[in-house]
Amino acid sequence: MAIVKQQPIQQTSVDERQRSRDLPGLIAELEAEDPAARRWAARDLSEHPSSVLALVGRLKCENDSSVREAILTTLTCLGDKAAVAGLVECLRSEDVALRNEVIEAMKQLPEEVAPIMGELLADTDPDVRIFAVNILESLRHPLVESWLIGVIQNDSHINVCATAVDLLGEVGSSSSREALKSLKSRFPDDPYICFAADLALKRINED
Amino acid sequence: MKHILIVDDAATVRMYHRNILESAGYGVEEAVNGIEALEKALQTTFDLYVVDINMPKLDGYGFLKQMRSQEITQTPALMVSTEAEASDRQRAFGAGANLYLVKPVKPEVLLSYVRLLLGEAGT
Repeated sequence: MAIVKQQPIQQTSVDERQRSRDLPGLIAELEAEDPAARRWAARDLSEHPSSVLALVGRLKCENDSSVREAILTTLTCLGDKAAVAGLVECLRSEDVALRNEVIEAMKQLPEEVAPIMGELLADTDPDVRIFAVNILESLRHPLVESWLIGVIQNDSHINVCATAVDLLGEVGSSSSREALKSLKSRFPDDPYICFAADLALKRINED
Repeated sequence: MKHILIVDDAATVRMYHRNILESAGYGVEEAVNGIEALEKALQTTFDLYVVDINMPKLDGYGFLKQMRSQEITQTPALMVSTEAEASDRQRAFGAGANLYLVKPVKPEVLLSYVRLLLGEAGT
């Protein structure tokens, strides 16, 4: 019979959590050298809505994916205006991975994101508008199709419209039909827009 | 027949690129993000990657960096993105892209870039 060597119980996380767990202590721990300590601090800060600024600040420079995940989970749990504003701030980051993680987090907050969706879709930065459309992809909210129709009717940037028309191909109903036809006439020389609009129209007609 | 892997999270974009490339006689496979692309690249030898930047799980930069750093392959890569800044191009080249195209892409432009990377320019 083989002898199974008993593995020592990992004490690190427990030890780390025995440090000061009040708000200033946890915020200080967000800057700890040990990623496990930062991760626990991020998790425990879910009890402290006033920690949003510190969490967002850490998120912008955090390289450890598990700590980032913990921070995003906490921000999603907090889910108040400040947390959503912090997430929006990160949409402007040059870090593609962070932006994608933030988009995924914002998809989990339909009721909280909905009030600012109009603002996001009107942002001066077309990249932010594209990310806003990306958020709509899984945002379970009754206004998703209306927002997308608004984008393809009004946005002047071809890639914002292209992103919206991709999504309308999946979630669009007969309500999108006229807007899709108009989009083709707005960008008659662009083969991708015509292809994507035709595809969306075909899917809508099949439903 | 040359084989091309299209890596993009948008189904419509994959279908659009597939139509163009298959019409020109290329074999095409698809991946929806960098992770799936890495898995396919480990299983199959491709002649070219056509890669988006913004994708969930693993973005285009991450995919190319992993491919290049692990020397899995030196297969040429065409990065295709909505991001048009010079800094985006620089980052793409830094990650291992050979050429960069800004979306939306016209069929003839996509084909000319693909042919260039496959050493078929002028054909």
